[in-house]
Amino acid sequence: METLLIMLLMPLPVFMGRAYDPSPGIFQSKEEARNLECTRLSQAEAHERFPGQVPEPPARGTWAVTDALACTRRFMRSGERPARDEVILSSLRQTVGDITQTASALEAGELTWHVDAFYPEPAVAAKISVAARTELVERGRKVSDRVPVLAAGDIAVLWQLPPKRAYPLACARYFAQGVLTERDVFLGVMIVDARETRLHAGLCVRGEWKWLQ
Amino acid sequence: MAPVRPAFLSLLLVVLPTAVAAADSTLSDAQQAQLEALRGEIAAQIQLQAYDLLDELVFGWTEQPVFALETPLVLADVSVPVGFGSGMQALIENHFAALIVKNPRTRVALTHCPQCTAVVVHSGARGTIVSRGVDEPEALSTAGTLSGSRHALFLDFEVEGSALVLRARITRLEPTLPILYAKTLSTSTSAPALLRSGDRLKSAAEAHQEYVDALRGRGLYLVPIRIGVRTYATGSAQVKATPFPWLQVGVEGSLSQARSWMGSFSVGFSWAPELHTGWLAQGRVSRLISGSASSLTGPDLYAFVGGSVISIHGQSALAFQDQIPDLDDLLGLLAGREPDATFGAFQLGLELRIKNRIGAGVFLESLPAMGDAPAIGDYLDLGLIQFHSLGVEVSFCF
Repeated sequence: METLLIMLLMPLPVFMGRAYDPSPGIFQSKEEARNLECTRLSQAEAHERFPGQVPEPPARGTWAVTDALACTRRFMRSGERPARDEVILSSLRQTVGDITQTASALEAGELTWHVDAFYPEPAVAAKISVAARTELVERGRKVSDRVPVLAAGDIAVLWQLPPKRAYPLACARYFAQGVLTERDVFLGVMIVDARETRLHAGLCVRGEWKWLQ
Repeated sequence: MAPVRPAFLSLLLVVLPTAVAAADSTLSDAQQAQLEALRGEIAAQIQLQAYDLLDELVFGWTEQPVFALETPLVLADVSVPVGFGSGMQALIENHFAALIVKNPRTRVALTHCPQCTAVVVHSGARGTIVSRGVDEPEALSTAGTLSGSRHALFLDFEVEGSALVLRARITRLEPTLPILYAKTLSTSTSAPALLRSGDRLKSAAEAHQEYVDALRGRGLYLVPIRIGVRTYATGSAQVKATPFPWLQVGVEGSLSQARSWMGSFSVGFSWAPELHTGWLAQGRVSRLISGSASSLTGPDLYAFVGGSVISIHGQSALAFQDQIPDLDDLLGLLAGREPDATFGAFQLGLELRIKNRIGAGVFLESLPAMGDAPAIGDYLDLGLIQFHSLGVEVSFCF
């Protein structure tokens, strides 16, 4: 009995170490591991961010481990939001940052920017357009919160067209109806196919539509 | 049996879908409950992080105000992460309003404008437009319901992976709706919420420094005072060692602020009238087992091993001899000869600490030299090692 007890206690230090391991194993399922976002940091940076958990690096250096893996559980676990929305929202800052950077580089003049997003889920569409507007203002652009709107007849026609034709035509109609002038530029962010998880973007300037990505 | 089987199968076919549906329903309810609990837990975390971002935003306004003069501002919209409800929205609104009230240096005065967020219908030359008030300022202006507010604030929170992102923008309520100010703030990856006080806002760097100072304030060294009692298992003889009260004082050090490893050295004293006077010197190494770092708010559990040298003088020392006390020993006592015993001990125990200030522990002690002492038995025999003593203690650290 005593020998059995000792044998059971012997691997305890190993298990205690494994308890903090973010990889799937005894203490963590694959699903839980997938919900972690991990970043590798140097020991100095990890000490700066987590002084209560990571000791200061030794002044004379060391041969031992000198980095740390900081893992945080994603706020929304996989499966809690629709998969497409989750992919779009998780990388929103990065994607919208890339789009606005390209758009800003193409139209550098003193123009008023208008932004709208075309996405099947209205709540997500609002998030995308807000992110794009905020990014543009932070890049020093003059941005309006007003969304250009077409007449109901135009929308009825555009609704029937494939995206490759609908957006250029909508751009032309914005200009023709005076919704957008020569001093305005419209940035549209959208998904073209309902199955895709990548955002596309286009610019409407002086009635001409340019696909950015 | 043959005619029964088709009947049984038919019954099974009828019952099975119902049973499966019932099982599905139960599972779905259980999952729903789990999901709700999870959402509550996440909302609590998100709420703290959202407060942190609002603090950062308002602190920025106190340092660099958006407006030159005090300006009325309508909180037009607070949107929460997709998948979260309006409860969080209300909490954010309240916290934001409290911050603005407590920080007049922002030069912002929150104003009430119910029409701004309500749906308004405006008919004009361009047709009839149905929209929110803030999206159609002409309608509000015509109706005279802007109540002096010419600026609207929009706060948008979204969860992006493990980060919470706040996008704030201020729009002037005029036909072209120009955005005057926009700011994106994100919780830095894995950083804990800073929990700043609303009426004494400070920068993230200052708040972080305060956190570090709070940790450092704990110090790497402590002076623990331990009060404990050791009891000894009864051996083969009819003589029993009395429980020993101990008072110990020493110094305790840790390798880092995480306090995952600690070492201590202490000296102790025990006294019982007419029975004994005892001295003890003890060293311990403790390992935190309830987490990777000691908690500022919750209790910590440590496992420890230690070694002691104990010296007992007086009648009680007779129990630690290799023989049962006999008449000679008693005569010696009457003659004024004081028996003594000095021995080593190894400890194994658990200690629960609260904020490194108060602790309670329990331990087993092995006395290798007492294997032949008839008055000392063992509480636990692991073959290689026997534990003869059981002790409890409380600690106060200074």
